[in-house]
Amino acid sequence: MKRADRVFTIMLGLALASSAILLALLLTLVPRVEQLVGRGAEDTADVVAAGVLLLAVCGISLGLLTLLRQLVATAVLIRKLVAQKIALPPSVVTAATGLDLHGRIDVVFDERPFSFCYWFLRPRICLSTALVERLDSDELRAVLYHERYHLRQRDPLRQIVARYFAAGLYVVPVVDELLSFHTLQKEIEADQEAVRASGDVRSLASALYKLLPDADDVSLGLLVPVSSLSVTEARIEQLVVGRPLPIALSPVSVVLSGGALVAAAVLVAVKGGASVVFETLPPLYAVPGLLVGPASLLFAAAIDGGLHQLRPLTQRLFAQT
Amino acid sequence: MSRPDLRRLRRPEKAEEKFLGPLETEVMARLWKRRSATVRDIVEDLARTRELAYTTVMTIMVRLHEKGLLERTREGKTYVYRPSHTRDEHRARLSRDLVRGLVAEFGDAALAAFSAELDTVDATHRAALRRLAQKDTRETR
Repeated sequence: MKRADRVFTIMLGLALASSAILLALLLTLVPRVEQLVGRGAEDTADVVAAGVLLLAVCGISLGLLTLLRQLVATAVLIRKLVAQKIALPPSVVTAATGLDLHGRIDVVFDERPFSFCYWFLRPRICLSTALVERLDSDELRAVLYHERYHLRQRDPLRQIVARYFAAGLYVVPVVDELLSFHTLQKEIEADQEAVRASGDVRSLASALYKLLPDADDVSLGLLVPVSSLSVTEARIEQLVVGRPLPIALSPVSVVLSGGALVAAAVLVAVKGGASVVFETLPPLYAVPGLLVGPASLLFAAAIDGGLHQLRPLTQRLFAQT
Repeated sequence: MSRPDLRRLRRPEKAEEKFLGPLETEVMARLWKRRSATVRDIVEDLARTRELAYTTVMTIMVRLHEKGLLERTREGKTYVYRPSHTRDEHRARLSRDLVRGLVAEFGDAALAAFSAELDTVDATHRAALRRLAQKDTRETR
């Protein structure tokens, strides 16, 4: 199993386990909130239940919104691509010979050089005319090898699933960090596949070099930087040095994620303050230790994860201004 | 399969807006060379290769001023125009605008992009990539 696949499996496992704990918490708290709506807040446990439920509603909304946004963006993209699609230029036909990509490549008229893989169950590769004109045959073939890797791995589908979980589980911010690492690792593995299939690194390096923007300071962070390197810089380092990238998870996110899950488990165990055990303990210990403390941890993780989720939105707003 | 004539295809409206027209490009090229000029100067300059009406050139220069590409100061009865940015700065801005447009348009959907166009790359990494791109293929085998 490749490294990106391992990270994806860990991320998915963590996401499913977290979802199960948080769903159990939600089911525990719903009856309490129903009572709260009927009779108003009577004690701290009522307030905690309402607060946690609010976090859950935000998570569910964020997840669904992310899913919807990605589906709409894909539909809009496909409509645009169809409108600008042209017949495959002979250079693309030649470069794609023997790559088993028949009927899976689209060339669209666009002044900007780009290529990407899109659609979910049966992905396709899109190349712009500017890219086709800028690259020679070997470089074009290297790009096609790179994209073929994404196509065969159904990376667009993996990404949409991973983004849905990362947004919905914003109280477990480490999921979002694993997604970032997975995205970068996928690019690196696609590059490695292109180098392996091309027989040397030159064609891919040359293609990448020809596509660099003229400006040194273009930074939009569409993909997520790892430590101080941008994604492209990390890819270049990988091509030059070939050292595997370390997984750079922020200790704050790891601690907050672990804390949030333990907190959620504690809240489930004491049924949000309605369990017999909770009621037999002295309120001086039980309320801060088993109710307010865990809820505060959940809120702290939610703030950190919420800021993570807002980052692409602010970047997109910045990109449009 | 015959090669499609890309120039004859209709450009998407948005992409068209991102570039200067041929006449605008010519006027900008002359202004970058001269650093400052009046409409009359440019008309005379252009007259060596093509004949254009004074009002045509004036309209183009006013449009370039409105786009923020030219600054102008009044000297007597005429305006003197200067480029707002050097040619390199203009190229860098254009590149940035293209990238921003790409992100705004494709955003989430272009999930697995060959994303060099979309990223920061410092001088050291550019140089390393150039060396790698120019590497003799015999060395890599």
